[in-house]
Amino acid sequence: MAAELTREWSDEQLKSDDLSKKDVIKFIQDNAAHSFLAEHKLMGNIKNVAKTAKKEQLIIAYNDLFESKRFLGSEPIEDVTEHVKNVKIDDKPKEVVEVVDEGPPKFFKSVLKKGDKTNFPKKGDNVSCWYTGSLEDGTVFDTNIPATARKKKQSKPLSFKVGLGRVIRGWDEGILTMSKGETAKLEIEPEWAYGKKGLPDSKIPPNAKLIFEVELVAVD
Amino acid sequence: MALEQLSDVVQRCQAIQDDNYTTEDYSVFQIAGRTCIEDGESAQVLSIVVDEENKNIVRCMGWNLLGPLVQILLKKEENNLPHCLAILTHLLEVCSPKELLVGLLEQVEEAHSDSIAETVILLLQPLQKVLLRLGGRKASSVGMALSTLLGQVARLPVPQTKEQEEDDVFSLCRCCSALLVFVRPFVEEAKQSRTPKEDELRTELLKFSMKSLCEPLLEVQLKDPETLAESPLRNFATEIVGILSDIGESLPDLLSHSLLRRREVPGFLEEEVCYPKESLASLAYLLFVQHIAMDTFPTVFSSVFVLQCNMEYINLFLSRTEESRLQKGLDLYEKSLVRVEDNSLPVQLMELKSFFSVPQNLVKVMTLCPIQHLRIKGLKVLQLSIDKFDTEAKYKFFQCMLKTSHHAGVEGYIIKNIKNQIDFALNLDNGNEWFMGAHLFPLLRQVLCLPQGPETDLLQNLDRVMESLNLLRYLLIRDKAWKNQTGIWTELYKIEDYYMKPLRTGLNMSKAHYEAELQNTKDNSKKTNAKAESQTQESVCSLTVGNEKMPNMTPEMQLQVLHSALHTFDMMESVLARIEEIIEVKEKP
Repeated sequence: MAAELTREWSDEQLKSDDLSKKDVIKFIQDNAAHSFLAEHKLMGNIKNVAKTAKKEQLIIAYNDLFESKRFLGSEPIEDVTEHVKNVKIDDKPKEVVEVVDEGPPKFFKSVLKKGDKTNFPKKGDNVSCWYTGSLEDGTVFDTNIPATARKKKQSKPLSFKVGLGRVIRGWDEGILTMSKGETAKLEIEPEWAYGKKGLPDSKIPPNAKLIFEVELVAVD
Repeated sequence: MALEQLSDVVQRCQAIQDDNYTTEDYSVFQIAGRTCIEDGESAQVLSIVVDEENKNIVRCMGWNLLGPLVQILLKKEENNLPHCLAILTHLLEVCSPKELLVGLLEQVEEAHSDSIAETVILLLQPLQKVLLRLGGRKASSVGMALSTLLGQVARLPVPQTKEQEEDDVFSLCRCCSALLVFVRPFVEEAKQSRTPKEDELRTELLKFSMKSLCEPLLEVQLKDPETLAESPLRNFATEIVGILSDIGESLPDLLSHSLLRRREVPGFLEEEVCYPKESLASLAYLLFVQHIAMDTFPTVFSSVFVLQCNMEYINLFLSRTEESRLQKGLDLYEKSLVRVEDNSLPVQLMELKSFFSVPQNLVKVMTLCPIQHLRIKGLKVLQLSIDKFDTEAKYKFFQCMLKTSHHAGVEGYIIKNIKNQIDFALNLDNGNEWFMGAHLFPLLRQVLCLPQGPETDLLQNLDRVMESLNLLRYLLIRDKAWKNQTGIWTELYKIEDYYMKPLRTGLNMSKAHYEAELQNTKDNSKKTNAKAESQTQESVCSLTVGNEKMPNMTPEMQLQVLHSALHTFDMMESVLARIEEIIEVKEKP
C-alpha cells in the first residue's frame, strides 16, 4: 500500500447527495490506518458506521486523512494485522470445507523448467496443469497428456481451484510455490498424498510416495 | 385398383409445375401408395418411386409412405422386404430431411409396446442417414431424435441377472448397443471443433448422456468382468461416460457440480436440464462403485473432497425408498468412506447440510426399511462413518444422534460407541478432551436420561436403558475411584439423583404393574376354563394386518409376553443392583 494516495473527491462532490455515506466510509476504511479509524470512530460494519456517523463528520475525516497522511501501511506492522482482523469475514454458509493440519512439508520440488516467476497462484485461484503421475518404481498411474500432439490440441489441461483441499495436499502446497509456465517435479510423501489407505480398487497402493511432473499452464 | 389410382395421380402430377400439388393429390398418393404396399405390390411402387419423371412428386410426397413401409418391414415377410427396403432407401435420399425426420420419429413414438425394440433398431440407421443430411443445422434435430429414441428404449424391461442380460429377451441390450453406433458420428463431429454451432450439438449430446445415466442406467445392476465378461450394459455405461469426456465435460467438474454450483446462475432452468442431480448421482455411482471409466478420473483429488462431493448424491439416493436406490446410496457411501483414513474427518464437515441429512436418512433405512439386508448394511455403513470422524466430530455426531434419532435401538448403538470411545481414551496416555474430563459430562447427561422420568416406558426403551446401564457400570469399574480419570466419581451423586433413583422407581412400578397383569390373566383364564369353551373373550381392541384380522392372543401367549416383560425388568434390575454394589464398595473407607 503506497502512501501516494490521491484525493478522488472535491469538497463539492463530498457534500453532494450523489456521494453516499457508505462510499466515503468504505474509502476511508480501505485506506486509512487502524488508529485513524479508531479515533474517528469509523471501524466496523459499514452499515453500522453509516447509521452513527453524520455526513459532515465523514467529510472532516476524509480531509483529515489527506492532511495527516495516516494511510494504511504508514503505521507499524502490528497496526496492519489489527486492521486485517477487523475486516468482516464473509460468513456465507460453507459448501466446501478445507482440511488443515500442522507439520513439516511432506513434499519435495525440483524445477525442471522455470516459470515466469511473476504469476504465482494464490489460494482459491483457478489453475490449469498438464501432469504425469508415477509411483516410486516408475509405473505411470495417471496422466492427462494425450499420446499424440494432435490430440493435445483437442484436450484440455486439468483445471481446479488450488489451496482449498480439493486435491491432495502435496499438490495444493506444491503448486502454490510454482509460477506460470513452470514445470516441476513434485515428490510427495504418502501423508500428503493418499496415505495409509492408498486408493482401494485402484492404482495407488497403501503408503505410496507419488512423483508428479506438473506443468502449470495457467493461473486464473 | 389402388395401383391404378397411384399411377394415375402420379401421371397427372408429372405435368404440374413448381410442386403445386393439391391436398387431394397428396391424399390420393398417400392412400393409394399405402394400400399398394400393404397389398404386397411393393415392386410396382418401387418402380414408380424411382422413375426419374416422378422425381419431384416423390420428393414432396414420398415421406408419407414411411408409415406403411415401416409396418411392412417390421413384419419381415420375405417377398416384400427387398422392395420395401429399396423404396425406403430411395426416399431417404430424395425427400426433405426434416419431413423424413418427422415421419420416422412418428413411427418410433407410435411403436406398439411389443415392437418397440424392433422399430428402434430398424429405424436407427435411416434416422442417422437423415440427420447427417441436415448438415450444420442438425443439432436440435439430433436432440429431438435422441430424446424420442431414448424415451422408447427406457420403456423396455431392464435385465437384472447375468442370465437375463445374456438372453436379452426384451432386447434392451441390443437397443443400447445400436444407440451407441447411431450417436457416434455426431459425437465425432462435436469433438472436432469449438465453434458455437458445435456447442449446440454438444449440448444435445450432453442432455442425451445425462438422460441415459438415469434411464436405463440407474435401473441397471452392472455385473463385473469376472461374472460377465461381455456385458453390453457395462459397455453402454462406459461409452456414455466416454461421450461426456468427448464433448468436453470434465468428470471432476461434473462430480463436484452439486456441491459447488453457484445459485442464481443465469439460465438456471437450463442447468437443471443439462446437469440433473439424479444423473450426476448415477455417474458418481458408476465411477466409484462400478469403476466405470475410473481410469479417466484424475488421480489427484483428495479423498475427503471426493467424499464431500458424493455426499450430495448419497443423500439423494438415501432419500428414496426403492431398493435399487437405497442399495446404490449405501454402496456409494461405503466406497467413499473406505478411501478416507480412520479418525481423519474434521468436525467442520458436520456443518455441511449433507453431513447432517445423510445420517438422518441412514437411520430411517436402519429402522424403517422392510428389506433386511439393507437394514444390516445401513448399520455397517453408519459404523464405518463413525470410525472416520475425528474425536471431536464423533462427539458432536453422538450428541446429534442422541437428540434426533428418536429410536431406542439407534440410541443404544450410539451409547455403545460412546463407551468404546471412553475406553479408547482411557487407554491412551493423554486421553482426549472430548471423552474424558469436562466435555464428557454434558454427553453423559444426554445418555443417562429417562425422557419421561420414572414413568418412562422401560420396555420400549430397553436397548437404550441396557446400554446406558452397561456404560455406567463400565465407567465405575474401569475408572478407579482414586484415579477418577473421567471424573465419574465426582459426578456420581448427581447421576444417582437424576438417573438411578428414577430408574429404580420406574422399575418397581413396572414390575408391580406387570405382576398384577400376570395375576389377572391367570385368574381370567381359570374363569374361562370353568365356563363353556366356545365362549371367546372380548378383547379391548383388535389388530388388522394386511386386510386380515389377527386372531386374539391365547391366554398362553399372553402369559408368555408378561413373563418376558418381567424377565426384562429383572435384567435391568440386576445391572442396576450391581452398579449400586460397586458404589457401595467404593464408598466404604
